[in-house]
Amino acid sequence: MIEELLFIRQEVAPELIAGLWMSIQLIIPSAVCGLLIGIVIGTLRVYGSPGLKGFAGIYVLFFRGFPLLVQLYLWYFGLPRIGIYLSPFAASVIGFSLCSGAYQSEYIRGALQSIRKGQLLAAYSIGFSHTRAIFSILLPQAVRRALPGCGNELIYLIKYSSLAYMVTCIELTGKGSILANFHFKYLEIFIIVGAIYLLLVSVVSVGLNYLEDRIAVPGFDRPKI
Amino acid sequence: MAEKVPVLSVQDVHKQFGDTPVLNGVSLDLFRGDIKVVIGPSGGGKSTLLHCINFLVKMDAGNIYLNDTRIDQSRKRELYAYRQKVGMIFQDFNLFDHLDALHNVMIGLVQVRKLPRSEARQRAEAELERVGLKDHMAKYPAELSGGQKQRVSIARALAMEPEVMLLDEPTSALDPELIGEVHEVIRAMAALGMTMLLVTHEIGFASTLAKEIYFMDGGRILEQGPPQKILFDAEQARTREFCSKIGRLNENSD
Amino acid sequence: MPEGIIVIGENLSYILGGLWVTVAVVGGALSMGLGLGLLLALGQVYGNRLLQRIVGVYVWFFRGIPLLVLLFIFYFGLLSALEIDLSPFTVSIVVLGLISSAYQSQIIRGAILSLPEGQFKAARSLGMSDTRAILFIILPQALRLSIPGWANEYTIIMKDSAVTYALGVTEILARSRHVAERTYQHFWIYILAGCIFLVLTYIGTKLLQRLEEKVRISGYAH
Repeated sequence: MIEELLFIRQEVAPELIAGLWMSIQLIIPSAVCGLLIGIVIGTLRVYGSPGLKGFAGIYVLFFRGFPLLVQLYLWYFGLPRIGIYLSPFAASVIGFSLCSGAYQSEYIRGALQSIRKGQLLAAYSIGFSHTRAIFSILLPQAVRRALPGCGNELIYLIKYSSLAYMVTCIELTGKGSILANFHFKYLEIFIIVGAIYLLLVSVVSVGLNYLEDRIAVPGFDRPKI
Repeated sequence: MAEKVPVLSVQDVHKQFGDTPVLNGVSLDLFRGDIKVVIGPSGGGKSTLLHCINFLVKMDAGNIYLNDTRIDQSRKRELYAYRQKVGMIFQDFNLFDHLDALHNVMIGLVQVRKLPRSEARQRAEAELERVGLKDHMAKYPAELSGGQKQRVSIARALAMEPEVMLLDEPTSALDPELIGEVHEVIRAMAALGMTMLLVTHEIGFASTLAKEIYFMDGGRILEQGPPQKILFDAEQARTREFCSKIGRLNENSD
Repeated sequence: MPEGIIVIGENLSYILGGLWVTVAVVGGALSMGLGLGLLLALGQVYGNRLLQRIVGVYVWFFRGIPLLVLLFIFYFGLLSALEIDLSPFTVSIVVLGLISSAYQSQIIRGAILSLPEGQFKAARSLGMSDTRAILFIILPQALRLSIPGWANEYTIIMKDSAVTYALGVTEILARSRHVAERTYQHFWIYILAGCIFLVLTYIGTKLLQRLEEKVRISGYAH
């Protein structure tokens, strides 16, 4: 038993922590870019010109419709054949951001559509331009309303970041896999890896709930499940 | 003689929703300090008229002049400047749900008028004090009563220093006991000489305030005149019928 | 590009051969998820406190660990530790089914909780046992309300099924990969693979929409 713990501490922990660090480096930029893409695409789908609406619709169709793993293969194995070479890390971040953005845009779109038309009329009536009304009146409301959904998407992103291993970006799952193969301890190491994800996901959901309460505005219903 | 130019002139406005005509050539003039009231049955086009005047609904034909200048709604800058000068009060308030009372009033000053935040805050506080809401500035719309919401929306419009106010049934969404506080604020605006075009069903209130009443039905102004004449001595049968119905309703509710 | 299209034409039938594996994995996982999810939901809503706790932990566990890691835990870890011999295909169905049961239980639970309390009371007032009330009054309504949630769950499992390729299940993505490696047309082959999944999710969603309309009770508020 002591031997086991010592083994974990000396051989496993440093490697997995390095892997976790890589996972976090994948997740944070992907989450930020995904949210930004989601806001832009979601807004275009509701308030864009017909052409932009069409573009945004097609974007969502493909990036939500293709399995994420297929998208990663497309970026990592597909693009070099047309002359674009991406590192495993870059391919993963781009893949996660584009896919996450498509999902986020659906939350933003739903939230924008749920805002009563009077909000826009009132903004116009005191001299707001269309663009300014969208940015300072509609989006702040939409983002608040979309927050539970967007937070959910972040949780998904954390879990799906494990797929980076499939395009040889060695993050937490990859490190675990290498260790397991090397020491022939599959069950123990994959359970530890699973526990780390579980912990990460739980901490982030607690954080998101806290954030939701912090920016809550009276009268904004926040569905909680 | 320059006095003779109306602040706001509405000329021959037409509007159809689908195949249904809602406005069939409405014209009216508001001179400085005028308070004019539009009455008439629901669906008669009153609300659409106000929305058209503020270009919130696109009219099919017609012209709007502010101080003798025709407003061209395709010129965006002109349109935004015009809307600042013509305040609009909505039936259902339309306060910005994510902002507290103070910021509801401030946001136009900061974003549209480009005032520095501190100055905007001072102005907004003053406007809220004027409508008697000094103690409710930090409350969000969901925490305010209907009457308080409508007063915030009036403060929001007044903060832009409008030359004309358009009020679209400002009290029709309110519980009876809250109507008084909003009427009081409107009366105070009148006392300061604000030019107003008011759509309302509160005929009693209207007749004490208005210089002239328009009776609208079927997308037209059927009759216009001083309150006493329209309410008690109208020429058109439709007007008499409507006024007696409304009069009875108001008596019953008293 | 023309080359890519020629390659697609030559290998389409081989890639589509993986269709049945994909459909079987998804179908198996969803059915297992529905059965188990239904039990979990009933346990969480009507069970005693201990049962509710257990279901809560179960849901937290299977919703918090990535699919890929769970596949590795089960296939490389549990199977050898317990000395059981199962094919990657079977393990994939089981793992996806367990995950899906966690999600489906929450869909059904939400639907049950959204029903007015009076439904249960009225059933009891007729002398129904609680089991009967759940079986004949609550579930027929709750399952109807769950269909939109299922449609969503179906699309997620359909896309996630591509991950089972990591265990060597020869579904659509696996076959696409073979072709891509052989022909060097990765770009077009993966676009093709993505489009096949897109069509599969579209067909499934449409079918569920049709089901929803078919079992709709007129005037029933959603």
